[in-house]
Amino acid sequence: MATTNTQASPILLECHNVTKSYSGVVVLKDVDFSLKRAEIHALVGENGAGKSTLIKVITGVTPRDSGTIVFDGHDLPIEHTKSAALDLGIGVIYQELSLINGLTVAQNIFLTREPLLPGLGLINYKKMNADAQALIDKYHFPLKATSPIETLSIAQRQLVEILKALSGNAKLIIMDEPTSTLTSSETTLLFDIIRQLKASGVTVVYISHRMEEVYALSDRVTVLRDGKLVTVLEKEQISPAEIIRLMIGRKLTADETKRVMVRKGGEPVLEVKDLTSVGRFYGISFALAKGEILGLAGLVGSGRTEVVRAIFGIDPYDKGDVYLNGKPYQPSVSRGIASGFGMVPEDRRQQGILATIPMTRNIGITNLDTISKFSWVSERKEMALCHLGIDLLKIKPKNPDINVGNLSGGNQQKVVVGKWLVRNLKVLIIDEPTAGIDIGAKDELYETIQRLAREGISVICVSSDLPELVRLTDRIIVLREGRMVKEFAEGHVTEVDVLKASSGILEGGNQ
Amino acid sequence: MSVSSLRRLILILLLFVLGAVLSIANPKFLTLGNLMTLLQEAALYGIIALGMTFVLITAEIDISIGAIIAFTSMICVNFLVHTQIPVVLFVPIAVAVGTLIGMANGFFITRFKLPDFIVTLATRGILSGLALVIAVKEGGFVSNVYIQNPAYLWFGKEIGPTHIVTIVFFVLAIGAHFLLKHTRFGTNVYATGANINAARLSGVNTDRTIIGVYALVGTCASLAAVFISSRMMTAMPELGIGQEMDVIASVVIGGTAFSGGIGDIPGTVLGVLFLALIKNGILKLGISPFVQPIVIGGLIVVTVIVDTWYRRLAERMISQAALRRRAAANAAVAAKA
Amino acid sequence: MTTKVFLARFRLLFIVLAVGAVLALIYPRFLTVSNLTNVLWSVCVIAIMCTGAIYTPITGGIDLSVGSVAAIASIVVNHLMNVMGVPMVPSLLITLVIGTAIGLLNGVVVAKFRVHGFIVTMAAKTYLFGLAMLISNGAMIGIYEPKAFLFIGTGRWLGIPVPVYIMLVITVLSHLLLKNTVFGRQVIAVGANDVTAKLSGVDPDRTRMAAYTISAFTATLAGIVLASLTQQAYAVAAQGYELNVITALVVGGTSLLGGSGSVFGALLGAILVGFIDNGLNLMNVPSAYHPIVTGLVILGALILNTGGQMPKWLRLPVLRRARTQS
Repeated sequence: MATTNTQASPILLECHNVTKSYSGVVVLKDVDFSLKRAEIHALVGENGAGKSTLIKVITGVTPRDSGTIVFDGHDLPIEHTKSAALDLGIGVIYQELSLINGLTVAQNIFLTREPLLPGLGLINYKKMNADAQALIDKYHFPLKATSPIETLSIAQRQLVEILKALSGNAKLIIMDEPTSTLTSSETTLLFDIIRQLKASGVTVVYISHRMEEVYALSDRVTVLRDGKLVTVLEKEQISPAEIIRLMIGRKLTADETKRVMVRKGGEPVLEVKDLTSVGRFYGISFALAKGEILGLAGLVGSGRTEVVRAIFGIDPYDKGDVYLNGKPYQPSVSRGIASGFGMVPEDRRQQGILATIPMTRNIGITNLDTISKFSWVSERKEMALCHLGIDLLKIKPKNPDINVGNLSGGNQQKVVVGKWLVRNLKVLIIDEPTAGIDIGAKDELYETIQRLAREGISVICVSSDLPELVRLTDRIIVLREGRMVKEFAEGHVTEVDVLKASSGILEGGNQ
Repeated sequence: MSVSSLRRLILILLLFVLGAVLSIANPKFLTLGNLMTLLQEAALYGIIALGMTFVLITAEIDISIGAIIAFTSMICVNFLVHTQIPVVLFVPIAVAVGTLIGMANGFFITRFKLPDFIVTLATRGILSGLALVIAVKEGGFVSNVYIQNPAYLWFGKEIGPTHIVTIVFFVLAIGAHFLLKHTRFGTNVYATGANINAARLSGVNTDRTIIGVYALVGTCASLAAVFISSRMMTAMPELGIGQEMDVIASVVIGGTAFSGGIGDIPGTVLGVLFLALIKNGILKLGISPFVQPIVIGGLIVVTVIVDTWYRRLAERMISQAALRRRAAANAAVAAKA
Repeated sequence: MTTKVFLARFRLLFIVLAVGAVLALIYPRFLTVSNLTNVLWSVCVIAIMCTGAIYTPITGGIDLSVGSVAAIASIVVNHLMNVMGVPMVPSLLITLVIGTAIGLLNGVVVAKFRVHGFIVTMAAKTYLFGLAMLISNGAMIGIYEPKAFLFIGTGRWLGIPVPVYIMLVITVLSHLLLKNTVFGRQVIAVGANDVTAKLSGVDPDRTRMAAYTISAFTATLAGIVLASLTQQAYAVAAQGYELNVITALVVGGTSLLGGSGSVFGALLGAILVGFIDNGLNLMNVPSAYHPIVTGLVILGALILNTGGQMPKWLRLPVLRRARTQS
């Protein structure tokens, strides 16, 4: 391992030509990424741009296909492990924190590295607590070393995670969407802490969709798009509007980037008034016309999925009313399905399919009422329904007995859609319809959704895929931090418009 | 007062109530002799409960300990009957066998990723059969060996008024407590049980931890086997079979949760005493001995229901408080804007 | 039904026939009417239990109390008929109701209190055994009346013992329930992925409660048949049957991790278990040793069937449910 004079080099991390593919799909292509010591560096890009994959490759969670990574003068081999990265001083803080309930702050910080008393190998609690408190005080965190973790708020837990990384002498701390669950005062505190970290020589990589935060915090910004490096912005060049432009900057035909919104008239099929769930979303109100495709846009954590889950009846809510065809409606999953709702969830593998079971059963499970009589299931009807689904959606392979887990992502999604499609649908809710699906299957799905709308079925489409939203929907409602902030119902709309609204950049605001 | 402290207090109170009831019903209850016998009863299986605590905290379970007792006691009997090897030498060997069995359990569970209850269920079946195989027989039938070796019988004796096993139990309890609360291994045990993914992310070797707790309970079981068979002065291949429920019950009553990450040794000691009182009570009050398994099985179910119920209640209150705090914070910000 | 389960079943049929053939060749006594009848009787009881017990592993749980439920059933039915003088038919009905209620209780604790089935049913096994011993005072009670009751276990119709008919009928019923009813589809869905099932309109809690209820129902039925065919009510009689039931289920292709199961496979598994048991008897292996073999068979079938994670040199697919893998 070549070790250069690390003290002198101002470059902490140098990634060169990093490439990574997952099952044939190229996720990172020849990406260069470099970090200086003691800087705050933002990593931005749309969903699917490759940010999390880049991080996984750097931290050793997954091996890269090719390219070099040099951290602090050390060459990181292709298959380097998580603990190797930890030892070198790379720390990551994910949204799902890795803290242990039942243990204290100090215990969590020093887990597996607790200071020991000489002799029997018993933990030196006095020293551990003192060391932890010293670390806490060094950064002026509002924490006590002896507090049990379960009494801490999410913001405080994040701080403990940071301390965990620091106690391991991290030189680099990567934070993935750290503020999505914080209040604004907690966010301000976090920013102070990040600046403190920089002052003490630590580099912080900040992954976020929130442009105003990126603008406020970063020394430099790396923009990724479709797995490639777009550019690296220096401090003077950073502006939210510029970042958005770079994130999207596609050279596509006018039809695909710009779209005329159409407000469909007629009696609303579904009406939602002032729907509120404390901590998740507030005052959501909209009406859905027959045959309308409504898009719900917004950043991660804006509450879109929570809203549709409440409408479908999975999660309860605190306030508000729902009307179906003009009549008051109390959401519940079974009532929803009987009334003509369908839901294609965000996480296809964990919530959408029964992987170990054949296609016939997957399609049949939401249609037990139509394929059975007095609880007796007609396998003939079940098979017919499955073939119907296969034909309507062009599912490949056409084998109804194949276990759905063995299908490709696109075909799996078709099965999930198919099980609703073969019903008498009135409202179909789709959450991230084309996540992880190849282009061909994407187009087929769009065609299907549009066909549904033409046949009079209303669709609510939650999506982070901007071209998809613009191309597919009749109307777009943008959510931000649980509230509706903008509705695009007429005139032209572009992807940039939607992203700006999602990020909270209003016309004439931070430019 | 925290929820767990309240629970412990209630358990202590129940212990006293139970003791009071028993001493009223049976005037001979409060005699030294009876209390010492009671403690001995508690200690014999209490030793295993100490090891089982570790297993349950890692959110695993071991139902093979009864068979380990049977198998180990048969090994000892064989040493006694067929060899001249001194007790001082073969007892550590027998205990080590228990450790190895425990490690095997842990190995199958972690490396082969098989469910814990199935592996220990299979081990139980295999070992109980093996105990029969190696049992001392006469003319093809298992003979009840009457143990007379004074060195071996020492394990069942007293020092002063206290039985040796009682002393061993409390000494081991202190050691177990330190192991659980004051070593890295113990912290890893809690981490593995509370959130195995977070533990792995933090660098805990969860496989090694799990194998370790199974080895521990295996050692406890084989050690207890020596004391049990010594006290009874005989050993049958059925010895201990079915006792896993008693052991698990005392650990659960003591406050350890099946879901993992919760529990400690003082709680287990209380649970062990509680169970011993109940068993003794059933005996002395003249209640049919068949009531005992009813009480034990019933206590496990009731304890689990009660524990789950109030823990959920506590969790709901905490998350509601958190949500309210966030809503207030957000409202404050909105009001300022 | 997937091709894998289908093939497994045929492979199983051949294994069963092969084991039977080997036994017949080595021990001519195997093929005698009296020996085969013995085998048949033990197979019937286990198979009846399997037809209901299969539902719990399909939903990802397990029912270890089936032996004790059978024991309680035999004690209770005898107590009702011969101690309290209740006529046979009401006695049977009351016993079935009681047994089923026990299953419901188990199901409620599993579903509503989120405790794993095996702990709940192990505890149930313990207290039910105690209860059975209490009622019967631990004695082996001979049942000599009513004659109609004894017909259930020892009678014959067209030369074939009645328990075989009961076994066949309930096996077919369970098979149809699993393969052809709404409930059967729901059980499999809940076992495969209960979140997806919930999002598809299935109630996982209700489904699980039903699974444990059915399991106890068939165990009760098995207990009644056992009492009748052995002509005794003995609390200790059915102890350990759950091990045989699990073996039969696992060998028959039911995954202990949930989502798949075969009733006819379990029937073949029960026959195999019966053959193995009988074979061991013919070899004069005392019955207390049988659990070793059963334990080994379970481990072997598990590693081959349901997918434990084999070390790299024995690669097989894996589907661990109890914990997520990092």
